[in-house]
Amino acid sequence: MILEVKNLKKVYGDKTVVNIEHIQIEQGETIGLVGNNGAGKTTFFRMILDLIRPTEGEILSKGENVMQSDNWKNYTASFLDEGFLIDYLTPEEYFTFIGSLNNLGVADVANYLTQYGEFFNGEILTSGKYIRDFSKGNQNKVGIAAALMQKPELLILDEPFANLDPTTQIRLKKLLKEFPGNMTTFISSHDLNHVTDVCSRIILVEKGKVIKDFKTDENTLKELESYFSA
Amino acid sequence: MLSTFLSHQRKSFWRSRNRGGSIAAQVVLGFFMLYFLAVAVGVGFGMTIFLPKIFPNQDILKSFNGIILYYFALDFLMRLQLQELPTLSVIPYLHLRIPKSKIINFLNVKALFSAFNLWPFFLFFPFIFIEIADEYGAFATIMYVVSILSITVFNNYLILYIKRKSITNVLYSLGGLILIAVFAALEYYKIISLMSASDYVFRAIAERPYLGFGFTLATVAVFYINSNFLTSNLYIEELGSKQEKKVSTDYAFLNRFGKVGELAALELKLIIRHKRPRNSVLMGFIFLFYGFLFYKQPMIDSDSFGRMIFAAIFMTGISIITYGQFMFGWQSAHFDGLLTNKINPKDFIKAKFLLFTIASIVITLLASFYGFMSPKLLLLHLAAFLYNIGFGTVMVLYFATLNYKRLEINKSASFNWQGVGATQWILGFPFILLPILVYVPFGIMDKPYWGLFAVGLFGLINLLMRGFWVNFITKRFEQQRYKIAEGFRE
Repeated sequence: MILEVKNLKKVYGDKTVVNIEHIQIEQGETIGLVGNNGAGKTTFFRMILDLIRPTEGEILSKGENVMQSDNWKNYTASFLDEGFLIDYLTPEEYFTFIGSLNNLGVADVANYLTQYGEFFNGEILTSGKYIRDFSKGNQNKVGIAAALMQKPELLILDEPFANLDPTTQIRLKKLLKEFPGNMTTFISSHDLNHVTDVCSRIILVEKGKVIKDFKTDENTLKELESYFSA
Repeated sequence: MLSTFLSHQRKSFWRSRNRGGSIAAQVVLGFFMLYFLAVAVGVGFGMTIFLPKIFPNQDILKSFNGIILYYFALDFLMRLQLQELPTLSVIPYLHLRIPKSKIINFLNVKALFSAFNLWPFFLFFPFIFIEIADEYGAFATIMYVVSILSITVFNNYLILYIKRKSITNVLYSLGGLILIAVFAALEYYKIISLMSASDYVFRAIAERPYLGFGFTLATVAVFYINSNFLTSNLYIEELGSKQEKKVSTDYAFLNRFGKVGELAALELKLIIRHKRPRNSVLMGFIFLFYGFLFYKQPMIDSDSFGRMIFAAIFMTGISIITYGQFMFGWQSAHFDGLLTNKINPKDFIKAKFLLFTIASIVITLLASFYGFMSPKLLLLHLAAFLYNIGFGTVMVLYFATLNYKRLEINKSASFNWQGVGATQWILGFPFILLPILVYVPFGIMDKPYWGLFAVGLFGLINLLMRGFWVNFITKRFEQQRYKIAEGFRE
């Protein structure tokens, strides 16, 4: 079990944004978090990453409370939004910086990036731009690639398919499905097609509560569609 | 159409998200403008008295004619730094059914609303109406007015053109300032005289007034060049500053500090690549001249360090204060990223200390030219330096953990009040007062050198305790980070 959520609650004023009794996530699972806007997905992710203090409850990463120990950072990589990018760096500088935090040398990083030539579509590296000058889609790519570069055991992405062009969406799906190693992936998405395609388990949330939590099979997409059209 | 544009502008000001801040900034700016206008009026009317005093052995008209071009050269440089391009606001209108020419008209008209265009009126007109009218008659007076107006507008549009072509940066302004200083020096040693040149030009206008239209022609030309440039370049991506190719850099000298150095390099890039932090650091260099105002020979002779320590702390610690007062806010845009990455909070804090220390050392070394005034000042600076890096840094970082305001760092620093909160106001007092309090008892006992020693020792002890302080600040930071991160996300 890599992640365990217990009685997690986040309240803003008199509004409960997240209210999750219990979730267990096993190593190697690929989980999709699905829900409409305001369901509390991003807040939930932020609490997993110890960016927001929960009002109640706790999140255990490998048995340790994320608020009390920094160990989760050693095997967790994430990209939620552009706020995670240091946007005044060139992509190369950013990758090198993230690499250095994970004890990867400049050569390691360059070596790693060569496999992403296709994913980057020739637009990211040696472009002579700072990250802030890229389109949102390309910024997303930088963030996702930097997260994957850390070879994490736990990967957390918030709407990774948003803003990406169709080709890249398909490439990203492939990347997530075939990523070597025993990586646990936790993504949120509004795209039901993609999420059922990539994920082995779906957690459906609404107004901060877990409505459904199930393994995907051939009927999942229909189920989800009927739920959301109701 | 023009009035619609202007009404939209007004709304965008009143409805802007951090309205409080921008109103406060405008009020302060307004006061400054009033002050400077008052000064300009005073100088304008007083010119008949001042000029003979400043240039005693010279015809007053020659002095007046002589300073005109100097003024406009300075005006040019000031505009280069301070005048803003009124462009970004038109982006939402570009795709609508509005002829380009109207948009350009709006931009041109809006550009005229600048205090720089007001000063020459108050500065030069009184003298012109009092003296010139007396000496040369009505036609020449009118042409003087026309010339001054023309040069003002000429500068106004030339600056816009230059800024649009983005052939500007701080170094050019600095270079220009030095150039003017060189001219002034040449003037002083009577080698080349810009004053005579200026006098020559305006004397010609006085004698053959129609020559004044030369300036008007030049102004019209610049206006058209500027408008034409706008017409052919009215595209969103070309309105802002031009993009140059960005390169990756590496600061080798920081590598020896390992992870801490890495983080310091990251922040150094932040400072260099954004307008606001860059400006606030550059401001520190300008404050290097602060000492000339504060250090007076009698004070130095009587060892009254108590009255000079303020300036010393301020000069050697200015980078700590101006940059540190917004601390962590500089990184507000990617604060979440910093928190989730594998960055040891202790390293993060240590990197701040490292940057502060480097900056202080550089500034203190530069300030050592005051040693020519008196070697005693070096001692004073040393004490101030030790205090700054020993305790000033700790104080600034402590206050930083109380700062939850997101900072927009791409905007200019002057009169930018975005992100200013209570912490910034409180910070300055203890920073400056504490060393004075340490010094005062010794000052009263008439043991000035012991006072300096005490201030220095206080700093040194805290510097030796840095390990403790790093832990202390890190702990604070850990407690406060949710609150800080939340504030920065807004």
